[in-house]
Amino acid sequence: MKRRVYHTALLAALAAPSAVHATVYMSAEQAQAVMFTGEVLRPDFRQLTNDQVSAIRKASGEAPLRHDLKAWRASGGGWFIVDEVVGKHEFITFALALDASGAVKSVEILDYREAYGSQVRDPRWRAQFTGKRAGQSLQLGRDVRNISGATLSSKHVTDGVRRLLATYAIVLAHAG
Amino acid sequence: MITRCRPLLGTLVEISVPDEAVAAIAPAFDAIAHIHARMSFHEPASDLARLRAALPGHSVAVGRETVAVLRMALALHRATKGLFDVTIGRQLVSSGFLPRDSVEHLGRFRGTSADIAIVDDTHVRIGRRVLIDLGGIAKGHAVDRAIEVLMENGVPMGLVNAGGDLRAFGDRDWQVQLRDADDVVRLAVPARNCAIASSANLLNRRRHRGAIHGPHVGLGRQPVLVDERITVVAEWCIIADAMTKVAMVDPILAGQILDAYKGYVLPNAPVAATMAKAV
Repeated sequence: MKRRVYHTALLAALAAPSAVHATVYMSAEQAQAVMFTGEVLRPDFRQLTNDQVSAIRKASGEAPLRHDLKAWRASGGGWFIVDEVVGKHEFITFALALDASGAVKSVEILDYREAYGSQVRDPRWRAQFTGKRAGQSLQLGRDVRNISGATLSSKHVTDGVRRLLATYAIVLAHAG
Repeated sequence: MITRCRPLLGTLVEISVPDEAVAAIAPAFDAIAHIHARMSFHEPASDLARLRAALPGHSVAVGRETVAVLRMALALHRATKGLFDVTIGRQLVSSGFLPRDSVEHLGRFRGTSADIAIVDDTHVRIGRRVLIDLGGIAKGHAVDRAIEVLMENGVPMGLVNAGGDLRAFGDRDWQVQLRDADDVVRLAVPARNCAIASSANLLNRRRHRGAIHGPHVGLGRQPVLVDERITVVAEWCIIADAMTKVAMVDPILAGQILDAYKGYVLPNAPVAATMAKAV
C-alpha cells in the first residue's frame, strides 16, 4: 500500500509566532492628492534594466527590491513614486514626491506591516499584500495602534528615499 | 480618526485627528519638520552643526526653539546633578550610535552641559567645545509643538506619536500599547490629556573596544544598559521624553523631578495614564 506523505511545512509555519500587524495610512491616490494638490498625474511606469539596477545600487548603496518602478509624472513637472522598503521586522510602503528639479518635496508613509520571524524578508509573504494596499479590507488610517516603546528607526525609509533619488537621476531625470 | 505618518526626527511620526480636522495635519508635520531641520544631529545645516563648529567664548545664532529646548535640557542637567546631559554626542559617536562623518577631532569635544550658556532667546555661547545630541529630548519637544499647532487650528482632539514618544489631548481616552524592551507588547493603558514616553535599549546594543554600549549614557559617561522598558507619563512630552533617561538610572530622582511637572514613572502594572487628577 502506498503510504500517503503529508506536507507539513505549511503547518510548521502556522505554528510559528506570527504577530502580524498592518497599518494603512493612505492610498496612493490619497497621497497624490495631498502631495500634488491641484496637479494631474499620469502613470509613467518603468521596467528597470539590470544595468540600471546596478547603477542605482552603486550610486545609493541600496539595491532596488524589484525591477518595476511605479512612477507618475505630475503636470507641474514633478514626480510621484511609490516604493517599498524592508526592515528587520517591518515592510513599509511609502510615496516620494519630487519637484520639477528632482528635489524632495515630501515623503508620506502609505502603510506599515510588521511581522516577527523571517516572514517580512520573504517575497511570497509580501506578495499576499500586493494589490490589497488600496484598503479593500483595511480601513485607511483607522486601524492605528498607538505604541510607546524604544524609538523605532526610520533608517530604512531614509535609505529608500536615497535609492529613489538615485533612481530618478539614472532613469527619470532625462524623460521628455 | 485619520492618521498620517511621515519619516521625521529619525523615526516614524504619526498624527491622528478626527476626519473633519485632516487639514490641520500638514501644518503640524511642518512644525516637526522645522524642528528636524534645526535640531537633527545629521543635518549639516542644523543648529547643532553650528554649535559643534562653535569656538569657546563666541556667541552663536540659533533658532528660538533650539534655545527653548536647550534651556529645558540645561535645567534638567542641573536638577539631575549632571545625569541628564545633551553633550553625550562624543560618546555616541565613539560607540557608533551617531555617525562619525561631519565630526572632526572627536577628542576635542570635552565640554559638558555646564559649558553651555544661553545668551538670549536666539544665541548660545559655549565654554569648552561640546558635541550636542538632542536625541533624548527633541522628539518630545516636537510632539508638544505639533500638539500646539493642532490646538491652534481648532482641532478638538488628537494624538501625536514620534516613534514611541507621544501626547494625546481632547475629551477621550486613547489606548496606548507599551512595547517592552524585548519588542513584545504586553500592556496597554488608556491615556487622556497627557504625554507618554518610553525608552529601552535591550535590543539596541553594540560592542566597542571590548565593552557593550547602548544609545543611553549616564554619569561618568558610562553606558546605561537596562533590560526593561522605562515609561514616563507627564503633562508635556519634552519632560516625559527626557525623564525616561533619568528614570533608567535613578527612578527615585526621576519621580521627585516629575512631581514638579505633574508626571510620574509608570509602574509595570495596568493603570490608566491620565493627567486628570493632576490638572
